[in-house]
Amino acid sequence: MERFNKKIFGKIGQKMTMGRMHHLKIHGILFFVLMQFGCTDFVDVDPPKTTLVSETVFDDPSTVESALANLYFGMREQGMVSGSTGVTPGLGICGDELDYYGFSADLIQLYRNDVLAGNGITTNWWQQAYHHIYGANDIIHGLDGSNALTVDEKNRFLGQAMFIRAYVHSQLALVFGDVPYITSTDYLENGKVSRIPVSEVYTHIIGDLTQAAEVLEGIDFNSGERVLADLDVVKALLARMYQYVGNWEMASSLASDLIGRYSLEEDLDRVFLKDSQETIWQLKADLEYPLNTREGEQLIIRSIPGQSYALTEELLSAFEANDLRKDHWVGSMSDVDDTITLYFAHKYKADINEPESLEYSILFRLGEQYLIRAEARVHLGNLIGAQQDLNMVRYRADLQGTTATTPEELLEAILKERSIELFTEQGLRWFDLKRSGKADQVMGVLKPNWQASDVLLPIPESELEANPNLLPQNEGY
Amino acid sequence: MQHSIPCMRRGSLFMLLYVFLMLFNFFHVQAGTVLEPPQFTVSGTVTDTSGNPLAGVNLVVESKNIGTISDFDGSFSINAGPTDVLIFSMVGFKTLSVPIGGREEVSVSLDEDVTVLGEVVLNAGYYKVSEKERTGNIATIKAGVIDKQPVGNPLAAMQGHLSGVNIVQDTGVPGGGFSIEVRGRNFINGVTDPLFIVDGVPFSSQSMGLSRLSNLIVGGNTSPLNAINPNDIESIEVLKDADATAIYGSRGANGVVLISTKQGKAGKTRFDARLSSTLGQVSHFMDLMKTREYLELRREGITNDGVDNLLGNPGLDFFWPDVTLWDQNRYTDWQKELIGGTAYRNNAQLTVSGGSERTQFLVSGAYQKETTVFPGDFNYKRANLNTTLNHRSENGKFGISLSTSYTREDNDLPSADFSPKAYALEPNAPELYDAEGNINWEGNTWENPMAALEEKYGAVSNTLITNAVVSYKVLENLELKSSMGFTSYRLDAQRAMPSSARNPQYGLTPQNYSYLMTNGSKRESWIVEPQLNWNKQWDQFSLDVLLGTTFQRETTEQLALRGRGFPNNELIFNMAAADNLDILSNVDNVYKYNAVFGRVNLKFLDRYFINLTGRRDGSSRFGPGKQFGNFGAIGLAWLFSEEGFWGENAVLSYGKLRSSYGTTGSDNVGDYQFLDTYTVTGDDYDGVTIIEPTGLFNPLFGWEENRKLEAALELGFFRDRILLNASWYRNRSSNQLVGIPLAATTGFSELTGNFDAIVENTGLEFDLRSLNFQSRNFKWSTNLNLTIPKNRLVEFDGLENSTFANRYIIGKPLSIVKLYHSLGVDPETGMYGFEDFNGDGNISSSEDREWVEDLAPEFYGGLGNTLSLGNLTLDVFFQFKKQQAFNTLRFGVIPGRKGNAPADLYDRWQQPGDMTPFSRAYSGLVPTGGLDNFHQQSNVAVSDASFVRLRNISLNYRIPQLEQGLDIDVYLQGQNLWTITGYKGPDPEQPASTRLPPLQQITLGIQLSF
Repeated sequence: MERFNKKIFGKIGQKMTMGRMHHLKIHGILFFVLMQFGCTDFVDVDPPKTTLVSETVFDDPSTVESALANLYFGMREQGMVSGSTGVTPGLGICGDELDYYGFSADLIQLYRNDVLAGNGITTNWWQQAYHHIYGANDIIHGLDGSNALTVDEKNRFLGQAMFIRAYVHSQLALVFGDVPYITSTDYLENGKVSRIPVSEVYTHIIGDLTQAAEVLEGIDFNSGERVLADLDVVKALLARMYQYVGNWEMASSLASDLIGRYSLEEDLDRVFLKDSQETIWQLKADLEYPLNTREGEQLIIRSIPGQSYALTEELLSAFEANDLRKDHWVGSMSDVDDTITLYFAHKYKADINEPESLEYSILFRLGEQYLIRAEARVHLGNLIGAQQDLNMVRYRADLQGTTATTPEELLEAILKERSIELFTEQGLRWFDLKRSGKADQVMGVLKPNWQASDVLLPIPESELEANPNLLPQNEGY
Repeated sequence: MQHSIPCMRRGSLFMLLYVFLMLFNFFHVQAGTVLEPPQFTVSGTVTDTSGNPLAGVNLVVESKNIGTISDFDGSFSINAGPTDVLIFSMVGFKTLSVPIGGREEVSVSLDEDVTVLGEVVLNAGYYKVSEKERTGNIATIKAGVIDKQPVGNPLAAMQGHLSGVNIVQDTGVPGGGFSIEVRGRNFINGVTDPLFIVDGVPFSSQSMGLSRLSNLIVGGNTSPLNAINPNDIESIEVLKDADATAIYGSRGANGVVLISTKQGKAGKTRFDARLSSTLGQVSHFMDLMKTREYLELRREGITNDGVDNLLGNPGLDFFWPDVTLWDQNRYTDWQKELIGGTAYRNNAQLTVSGGSERTQFLVSGAYQKETTVFPGDFNYKRANLNTTLNHRSENGKFGISLSTSYTREDNDLPSADFSPKAYALEPNAPELYDAEGNINWEGNTWENPMAALEEKYGAVSNTLITNAVVSYKVLENLELKSSMGFTSYRLDAQRAMPSSARNPQYGLTPQNYSYLMTNGSKRESWIVEPQLNWNKQWDQFSLDVLLGTTFQRETTEQLALRGRGFPNNELIFNMAAADNLDILSNVDNVYKYNAVFGRVNLKFLDRYFINLTGRRDGSSRFGPGKQFGNFGAIGLAWLFSEEGFWGENAVLSYGKLRSSYGTTGSDNVGDYQFLDTYTVTGDDYDGVTIIEPTGLFNPLFGWEENRKLEAALELGFFRDRILLNASWYRNRSSNQLVGIPLAATTGFSELTGNFDAIVENTGLEFDLRSLNFQSRNFKWSTNLNLTIPKNRLVEFDGLENSTFANRYIIGKPLSIVKLYHSLGVDPETGMYGFEDFNGDGNISSSEDREWVEDLAPEFYGGLGNTLSLGNLTLDVFFQFKKQQAFNTLRFGVIPGRKGNAPADLYDRWQQPGDMTPFSRAYSGLVPTGGLDNFHQQSNVAVSDASFVRLRNISLNYRIPQLEQGLDIDVYLQGQNLWTITGYKGPDPEQPASTRLPPLQQITLGIQLSF
């Protein structure tokens, strides 16, 4: 460029008298200076200090861990998995577990089974779920292109990311039924996806989990607090998925694996503590705030008025006499005049502002696995084994062994036991109502507005607008 | 290497302009030296035609570079030769040349020029142009009009005064902001704000507020423009068409607003003191239900829902305390209680200015304090200091001008606007305080609004705008100039939420609830703009060439924190005392900008004008290969009234046709959007620091483009006593750079990219100025402006399948809303009915929201009259707008719900056969059983919100001179005093019932000058 300037400058100069040279020099210098400025990389900027360029994330195991930590944190705080408006209270009020006393219009819709497609909570569930799925997919694809990690590191991260993708999809299927299964990070493709039948969603979930189980085999990375998704966690979800699709062999075998590795807490007050020995996976609370669980924050009634959720009459009356779980897992609160008393889920006992960290949000625990295996064993014809598994849970609550003997009676007894043992845990009851075909029978009595189509919540209106390929809307909305 | 191509292109542009410029230099002839005739002193006086002395008249000896200014009594003296010619000039008067002819005393009187088109000089940013010769569309408002308005923000002073400029005040809370659109909305997404330039320095008008802190009180927009004291402004110019804005290239698409501050004038040192006091009140209260009607509806709803048997159940008392627990006869006008106060504003300003012919200065300091209409002790304080200094060397070749403005704002407000509570609190809600003067919680049955007084919002901002312009005349016709500017804007805001502000029954303590949010934000920007300006005049044509380059760097930092859990509420403002800290926002951005620009202006026979402008811009907001863009425009003007064939016309004294066409652009996308990044959030999980994907990655987006076409006719009648400007424009924006909304299945809600859509703004603008009557003692002039805008989405490939399918319609404006079509109340059921557009038997979701209403103004403008009689001047300015807006039904349509509502809702359905506008009452305890909430998203929620508003009235009395040189003015000003509208709602200008409407204000002030 410099030479070019001189050349032009020279040519013009030759045509001029010496008297003009003086002025010309000033112009020339100025021109030259401007040209040089114009050609610098002035408009290039370095990335901001607060961010990392994506490629570099997958060059180092610690940054991949950070990207995964984002997903665990996200599940704990945002959307449907846990958090303030997770499925535990949300599907609790949709179903027969909880009454809602608050004023949130969105929650009132859920409570009345009169949900509009624009409902803020269900929209948030959908959006956050796919946001987490994107995060998992970005890690899965990022690992693919990375050469800087060892095979073990890659497998450890890949297994967790695939698990999270499968787990979040399983929650979507629970709430919305047919949903898209997203495995890509390409927005053009993902923005136009269609929903697939829920059975196919489960096939994808099981495929992902099977692959996750393969890559996680033999890698131990949980620090002892069981706050990351390792092989046992993958198996626990696989057992649940096989239970949902009726693959009883696999459900039973996976549950057996876990039953062999974990044991039930004898003391009911210890089941939901952070060091409970029957916990398979829990989301660790914050090191600073919150030190305890959102479930405890939401479900415990601290004053009347001021209550949000209370256990329903139906649930309370379902407890058998002398069931210790009613004493240990149900709390009560009365107003100042003692005119009303409400009962609440007291599985988590620590207040979110408790200065000491006592509890984490538990997502998988052994109690469920016993009941999965009991159900599987009924279907596999092992009725004695089914009774044994069922009784493991009952004995702990100081109840007599089950009196059910026929397969039908046993399935009925297991369903009821699940409603007691697993109440207000991630909407498991809501799905039990659906898969057992008892939703209309139970809910029809309980909720005046109940319609058969209410077992599925509406696909968010804004999403149908954003991607018409998601149409048709679920029935009834 | 990737930059070689833009570099070469820029190089050639430079070469071309440079060579062009050089060629003209050949014609340059150096002036020789001539023998000077003997000098002597000429003195005299200057008066107007009525014999009043004129101070400050510019006086120049034609052949020399010397001049002076007439004194306050009109006298002057100057050294000149006996054969010299004296030129007297002053704005508002016709310039006069007087040959000395050997006289020692020369007394002249200047003729007043009615409009003096040729003398009115407009600031076009990089250059100045006279009103008469301009080729572009530039609207202006001068100090004379701004000073008459008791307002705190420059945009407030502009409201209604400029054609093509639509300004709406966001909130009546002090320190809030304004939204502004110049010639409509060009882009589907992104800000509509024009480029603001204060004394040559770009000044970002974008709020750095954090909505979590400030949304509930000032609508999130803590406008940086509040830092500019309207009284310091000499003029505001709004550049609208391509001819005027293309030189701003990529930042000119939304128009350019140039703010010039007052400068010192040569002459005696002047002191100017101004004191004023303003009272402000909410201009209009809504008609809400009284206790009797309210409770009647509540009970009716409870009966209708069949839940009256539950009224005795104490467990449900919390649900309807207004019906079961509270005094059934009590009535409080909550609007009066919560937003019915008087806001006081006191303003003091002292300006010292003066200087000699070659050096002038101005120093101005101002202080303002404004309280609110809310209960409690809240206020907004502003102190600012403004200094300017201009100097020109003895030989006139070197010039320097410096300007610095520093402002500190301190805003102490409650954490939330009281207006929503004022409109919604139950009319029989309990007393605010108990007998002992403590907050009354009435058995914990309500949220006492007074408790919220403890929740505080505070914002301190410091703004520095400084600029230096150094110029040197290298040759007689060639000036080298460089402008260097620096701006710094710092905002420190906080919102404190102590547990003591909440109902004690919740058991909230400082440890488990109290929290403090802080936002420390800083934006700094420097700019350097070296320029070359060359002009040459020949017999019949003259040429003006400008060539310049821009280097700008802007850094934006923001660190927002939330501290939670305090040992006690006294320590809540001490972040260090918080138990735990969260980072809400952490931004550290750099924006760099580089450009080359130029202008060639050709004037032929004083009646044909060609103006070529261009700019090549590079911005760091785009990825490699997409950083540079070219913009340019051509402007033409023909002063046909100067043509020989026209001759002397008694009626039409001035006529001009002008037209322009060109391109501008926009890079309003935010920084780093082209980078694929992970961001540290500040949280952690299991001891591992968290990073999250920032967003979807699209490195390929580029400049938005805006093509502007304009044609205008300017006419002057009766010696320019009536001036009419009529402009037609058509702006088309394409390559829309938007956060394209995405389906959530992509993981994100949007992606930045160029969208193939065209948005068109067309319109007509009329400006009429007329001097209706003028005599020695009485003068009456009128100003009228009218804008008829039209916005249209012209083209949008694949709209039906896009995420915008349910928001926009091709051929309709961007400002439309899609609504349900309400069929009113079914006389049989008492429920609202809606049109089933898609005929599926269901009223649901988007497919039945097919009713279209447009919320953009149909036309708007202003009408001002100025009458002066002797020492008394009266200004009356009306603003008018025809528009539709959401009315109060947008916020509630169901009678009987808890919380007060507009009195109209009383007219509800009660029994089969009733024909009423509102449905039956509901208790709120059981579902409405229908889709009644859709009523508020239906066509009935939009209604006419047109208004005519007495925006400003000002009465000024100049006390007859007590002493030579002492001027005393006493003035009474009113803002927003009277509004004619059929709109039902708090205010038609800002039709949201969640924010305080603009206040009506009366100001009494005095100004002393000596």
